[in-house]
Amino acid sequence: MVERLVSDIGGLPAGEIPLEERRQLFWEKQLIATVNLLTKRLDISLDEYRRSTEEMSPDHYMSSGLYDRRLDGWLSLLFERGIIDPDEHRDRTRNILRDGTRDVFP
Amino acid sequence: MSSPDPLFRVGQAVRILDLGKPGHVRTPTYVRNKIGLVERCCGKFDNPEERAYRRRGNLVYLYRVRLRQPDLWPGYDQHTADTLDVEIYEHWLAAEPRDS
Amino acid sequence: MNDHEHDHHHGAHEPHTPNEDDDVQLTEHEAKFLALKSMLIEKGIITAAEINAQLQLNEKKTPHQAAKMIARAWRNAEFHARMLADPKAAARELGIEVTEAKLVALENTEQLHNMVVCTLCSCYPRSLLGEPPAFYVSKAYRSRAVREPRKVLGEFGVQLPDDVEVRVHDSNADLRYFVVPVRPARAEVLSEDELAALISRDALVGCGVVEAAIGRKLPAL
Repeated sequence: MVERLVSDIGGLPAGEIPLEERRQLFWEKQLIATVNLLTKRLDISLDEYRRSTEEMSPDHYMSSGLYDRRLDGWLSLLFERGIIDPDEHRDRTRNILRDGTRDVFP
Repeated sequence: MSSPDPLFRVGQAVRILDLGKPGHVRTPTYVRNKIGLVERCCGKFDNPEERAYRRRGNLVYLYRVRLRQPDLWPGYDQHTADTLDVEIYEHWLAAEPRDS
Repeated sequence: MNDHEHDHHHGAHEPHTPNEDDDVQLTEHEAKFLALKSMLIEKGIITAAEINAQLQLNEKKTPHQAAKMIARAWRNAEFHARMLADPKAAARELGIEVTEAKLVALENTEQLHNMVVCTLCSCYPRSLLGEPPAFYVSKAYRSRAVREPRKVLGEFGVQLPDDVEVRVHDSNADLRYFVVPVRPARAEVLSEDELAALISRDALVGCGVVEAAIGRKLPAL
């Protein structure tokens, strides 16, 4: 019996639907713009991105919000394709958090 | 492995299969092994099961299948006319003989 | 702290982008995104200017685009027919470029109420409507909308008569959907803009309704 995909949640028990609107953060808007561009530039299909997200662990998937999950799904794909080096990315992330600034561009 | 013409007609009874296929598939579990009617043929699309791994498969026909909610959920309430439409690729469907 | 964003360097630098998130603390995910962005720019895959341009483009995509289209349909029977037959072409008449492969208009009637969900992810006609509402992408909605749509509608304050069929559409593959609410009686007394203002983002996925008739209140004599 093949295990259900982590994203295959139609009909499963669930709680309250959050009705309050959530402000979309600026970095999330930039993320969407970035992946819009990458989809065309790198000829990445929606199916590849979906598959990448489905490969997350159930814990990771269920505890992530949409934008966090989108980012992680894309990063996983870019690491897989060898376009972004995971070690360098991890180091840069750590430095940004340590410096506590959003201004990382010259 | 796609047919030149659609295999199924609008209004035809079909069973949504469970192919037991691991990896990226777009057939939700809750509609597998259920019987419905073809609502429309949506045309041919890249097989997502191939595209997800950067493989170029053949184009496959996509259909919308209409199901009755009471068939999907035991104890669905008294609104037995409620329906659900879902998109299914041709290789996940089989003709269902209408003898029930 | 951070006074860089108050400097405005022009000329050789990329255009400075004001950051609306100055009141929000930097999270790990934002840091991951910023690291990714800097690496993509350094590798010459995209530029900051391109990200900004795409962002500006995306800002124009809002539910109001679809609301205007539906309002036009409510005031023009021929356009209404065209919109149902080919919503992408109808959108183009209003200068809206829909980039999804297939778009379907789901018309509500007195006997049928349509609802849209993507149980497997968050498929939504983004080039028409922009980003989906928080509820639409929530796991609770994705799980429950297919199984107990009337209960979910009740949580949105939508009560439907028993003789109305509720049809849920799982946007699970290549089609994208928007719901066309029932045309209110006497819609013709309102302008297109006034009608568009009645059509909420929630109604466009079937989680809201539009009032049944315009001008129930009579003007004072």
